[in-house]
Amino acid sequence: MTTRSLLWRRRRDSVARFWRRFRTHRAGLYGLGALALIALVALGAPLLVGGDVQSVTNAPGTALESPSARFPLGTDQFGRSLLGLLVWGARVSLAVGLLAAALSVAIGTLVGILAGHYGGWFSTIVMRITDWFLVMPSLVLAIVLATVMSRSMWTVILAIGITSWPTTARLVRAQTIAVESRPYIERATALGGGHGHIMSRHVLPNVMPLVLSQTTLCISTAILTEATLAFLGLGDPTVVSWGGMLQDAREAGAVSSGHWWYLAPPGIAIAVVALAFTLCGRAIESVLNPRLGAGR
Amino acid sequence: MVTMAPHRSLRLLLASAIASGIAATSLTAGHPAQADEGDKAVLTVAVSQSVDSLSPFLAQRLVSTSIHRLTYEYLTNYDVKDARPIPGLATAWKASPDKLTWTYTIRTNSTWSDGKKATAEDAAWTFNKMMTDDNAATANGSYTANFEKVTAPDPRTLVIKLKKPQATMTALDVPIVPKHIWETVGDFSKFNNDKQFPIVGNGPFIITDYRVDQYVRLKPNKTFWRGAPKFDELVLRYYKDGDAAVAALRKGEVSFVPNLTPAQAASLKSAEDIKVNDAPGRRFYALATNPGARSKDGKKFGNGHPALLDPAVRKALFLAVDRKTIVDKVFQGHAVEGEGYIPPRFASYFWKPQGAQKLAHDPARAERMLDEAGYRKNSGGKRVGKDGRPLDFRILCHATDPNDKAVGKYLQEWWGKLGIGLKVECLDNVSDPWLKGDYDLAFDGWSVNPDPDYVLSIHTCAALPATPKDTGATDNFICDKRYDELYAKQAVEYDPAKRAQLVKQLQSRLYDTGYMNVMAYPNAVEAYRTDHIRSITTMPQAAGNLWGQDGYWSWWSAQPAASGDDQDSGSSAGLLIGAGSAAALLLAAGIAFAVRRRSTADDRE
Amino acid sequence: MTTASASAGAVVERSGTATAYPRYLAGKLGGAAVSLFAVLVTSFFLFRIIPGDPVKAMTQGVPTSAEQLATLRRQFGLDLPLWQQFTDYCAKALTGDLGMSYQFRAPVGELVAQKLPATLLLTGVAVVIYSALGLWLGTRSAWRHGGLGDRLNTGIALTLWSVPSFWLGLLLIIVFSVGIGPVPGMFPTGGMESGDETGLAYVIDVAHHMVLPVLTLVAVGYAQTLLVMRASLLDEMGGDYLTTARAKGLRDDLVRRRHAVPNALLPTITMIFINLGHVAAGSILVETVFSWPGLGGLFYQALSVPDLPLVQGLFVVFAGAMILMNLLADLLYPLLDPRVGR
Repeated sequence: MTTRSLLWRRRRDSVARFWRRFRTHRAGLYGLGALALIALVALGAPLLVGGDVQSVTNAPGTALESPSARFPLGTDQFGRSLLGLLVWGARVSLAVGLLAAALSVAIGTLVGILAGHYGGWFSTIVMRITDWFLVMPSLVLAIVLATVMSRSMWTVILAIGITSWPTTARLVRAQTIAVESRPYIERATALGGGHGHIMSRHVLPNVMPLVLSQTTLCISTAILTEATLAFLGLGDPTVVSWGGMLQDAREAGAVSSGHWWYLAPPGIAIAVVALAFTLCGRAIESVLNPRLGAGR
Repeated sequence: MVTMAPHRSLRLLLASAIASGIAATSLTAGHPAQADEGDKAVLTVAVSQSVDSLSPFLAQRLVSTSIHRLTYEYLTNYDVKDARPIPGLATAWKASPDKLTWTYTIRTNSTWSDGKKATAEDAAWTFNKMMTDDNAATANGSYTANFEKVTAPDPRTLVIKLKKPQATMTALDVPIVPKHIWETVGDFSKFNNDKQFPIVGNGPFIITDYRVDQYVRLKPNKTFWRGAPKFDELVLRYYKDGDAAVAALRKGEVSFVPNLTPAQAASLKSAEDIKVNDAPGRRFYALATNPGARSKDGKKFGNGHPALLDPAVRKALFLAVDRKTIVDKVFQGHAVEGEGYIPPRFASYFWKPQGAQKLAHDPARAERMLDEAGYRKNSGGKRVGKDGRPLDFRILCHATDPNDKAVGKYLQEWWGKLGIGLKVECLDNVSDPWLKGDYDLAFDGWSVNPDPDYVLSIHTCAALPATPKDTGATDNFICDKRYDELYAKQAVEYDPAKRAQLVKQLQSRLYDTGYMNVMAYPNAVEAYRTDHIRSITTMPQAAGNLWGQDGYWSWWSAQPAASGDDQDSGSSAGLLIGAGSAAALLLAAGIAFAVRRRSTADDRE
Repeated sequence: MTTASASAGAVVERSGTATAYPRYLAGKLGGAAVSLFAVLVTSFFLFRIIPGDPVKAMTQGVPTSAEQLATLRRQFGLDLPLWQQFTDYCAKALTGDLGMSYQFRAPVGELVAQKLPATLLLTGVAVVIYSALGLWLGTRSAWRHGGLGDRLNTGIALTLWSVPSFWLGLLLIIVFSVGIGPVPGMFPTGGMESGDETGLAYVIDVAHHMVLPVLTLVAVGYAQTLLVMRASLLDEMGGDYLTTARAKGLRDDLVRRRHAVPNALLPTITMIFINLGHVAAGSILVETVFSWPGLGGLFYQALSVPDLPLVQGLFVVFAGAMILMNLLADLLYPLLDPRVGR
């Protein structure tokens, strides 16, 4: 009981320490603020604009109206409000980004810990495969995967997750090896801790900070990749996402007909979210590893 | 005239820094040396589709067959007014009383671009090659499949003997090639006719150069029997991106752009010196319903929804489709509401449902029809069949076609109100589930030729695959006895009026089956620069399209505008800014290089 | 970005254990050969799972009879069993023959050779410019790290890095090609050449066409070089030898130029090599947006048919470029860095 509460206090302390240091990174704070705002908008989208914003048969406007008081960002080719779609699209873009990054980091962490822990020929083979994935042009591979599977959000998530894990795997493996060389792991092994115990109780908590910063950085890449796939027409055409809006805009011929207000906002939204995650990730990274000096 | 000459000095400034880097690569890129012919009238057409082959024996894509129409004569051509067959390489033709022998008279005033006369011998050789060499039949083998024997008794007479009567004998879209050139070709499956330029032909134009996905160049054939085209050069230039093509048109880089989106057409309408041509198209855009896929040996396959075998369900689905909204909202008015199978542009074959036969937009009737047929709504508002299976359908959509995706959204909402679920499955390549019969509904569309035989043939039982493993020519696995009887009758009917009557009956039958529901006939929306092209002939002449015509009328007839030297006006200020920003970019790069070099130089001290 | 820096790290880690250069060289060469073979084999099977009958897809919308379909299938060797297609493919690949493209009916090798110069030109120029720009700005940033210039520098770079490249390309087309408001269109909207020029005029013409796509690639790409250069320079600056050098009374910029920068260059150069590996595949989007007649556009087009031999061939080329550049980076690293591998 006391060890447990001690453990909790130690964790709480380290989180507080982390936050104190994170606070000194102004860029990271900006990123965090932007993310909080966007997350709020995405979660509140049903209240803010309502699911009806996607309906084509009840579209309130006419095709491709320019911005006005009624439609602050104008309308798309079906007469739907672009502001409403932008808000609604945040849900899909963020969801895909988060889930894809989670998948990618989860695979990477699992592979990395296993390879680092077991070592030997197992590690050699796993790392060869990882290396092989690393030299694969990842966008090409993601495009291929998205083409092979049917058009849906899950396809995009899988395609991004499967192609982007090797970096995490490498980093986690290195960290695992470093952690396992510490004396207390030897003690734990001597005391009869099994592989599962060591990996889940000792290694995992120690690689978690790394995983966290890796996830944050991964999300911004994932959101960009999602937009890219949607833009190439590989996303799910039945859901509204930022990349999908860009693709719609292009297919409608918005570029050459000068409807810049159709094209600009989704791109800016993507850039803002990607930047916010990157700033956060870099701040976390430099808190954990001050020598990098990257965030400042 | 469309060539860009001015402002070289500024571009020089802009590029001189990059130039050295490029020089090596551009040499390996192998740009063919060309003399600058000064002020010539060039007609540049923006295209996006890649040429599959320049060999008439292999080419199947629209861009390639359009090029062949410009460079080779066919036996017959299509009239610019009403698309009826008119003389091409043949000046006259006659069928024997038993309908099995056709005799064509070949014109004497057509010469190949290398000076030799085009004769019946060339035509006979072309057809015989296709009949004896499978590889040469790749592109147009369907035309010669029914040929028994082709001979040229003298240079002006071509005789074709048929196995059975064939109504399409005046619409053989087969380019006739010069025998003396093509005799030497070994493997027809590998010969693309794109190594030696100019390519010998006898059409209004001659191909002079081709670079994959960059351009096709053609020059006028001065000895063309109908008279040489007026432009000094015709260039098909590649723009893989539609917006880039439109922007190029605005700037005068190209003279003509096909396949505009509604937004592009709207914005180009107000542009100076640009004419938007919104013409009735030759395509139909339909909703295909899986009739239960099967092969000729009677085996059923695929997983089409069984409820769709019920005519009431098919009718109810189509009754809930508001064709007017599709035309107004999806095509933004650039389409005509769908009726029968063949677009109204082909007036002699056009048919539309009358009175009680017509399934006009009527969602209330659709509800009643479903209720009566026993598809009741359950507590969740979903229609459920007698077998307890809910009416949840899938529709195959082409991921590359924005219209499919847009119409899919509307269908989802319209049918949703009826209590019918719809999943829009968009694929780059829909042919796989389609061939396996793994679909419920699909977006379907074909370009219709002046002779409708082919688009009618793909709904006959004969077009079904032999076994489930084979691929047939069938479009939608339709196999209907009554339809087949009518089809067989029209295929051997040589009297145009009687045949047209049969074709209309065919369409009526097809409409009643409810397997092919035409939603719209999309227009051909294209635009050209009036300061490049003074006049050009559309087909049909009254209100027709320019790109992808059945004849060579548009490009052959195009007249250059008197003076086009001012087309680059207004861009000099732009170039200045452009050069400035490019120079800034290069400067930055240069400084970076300098810094780097300095650091390494210091190192060596 | 993360991929590259991780590989750079991997290089250090791996080469650190090597004792003699020849042995190290042999190991790297062997590894690359194995990777290349794996790529060859997987590319065959990876692309066989793409659904769709290529023959039917190619003839979509074109009047075609069942006999013609059979002919096409035979011409493409699609009537053979899968294992036989595979052995044919392997046998041919060993001789450098990547098969015939379905849609162009030309050897894949020939098509790649035709399009490669355009891609190399575009991305090559872009990589050179953004590497130089990144190195320069990264050095400046690191030297005055924490200052306003540094924050502005990294801020702008990170913002541009977060922008989707295709979107930036489209905006540039709207503003500088189509023209917006007072800005007239002054660059071509796409393509590589106007087609009528020769000699110097041709070179200028191509350069004119290159401005916008290169600008797009540079804007989105230079952040990576900048950040790696900045980070490794900061790393170096913490090193003892710099303090010593300063204590010896050497001037600051001399210290920087002579010691810190050359050492910090190593990881950056590795990364530049890896970027060069990405050259072939990296421009799919920009080539699509700007109608650049290169490999990226070809790949996307091939995939939608699907033109299996072409997709396979391009995949092998893309992966091969990565393997080659990784190998070069691995081989050069110990030569450049006296601390490693000797």
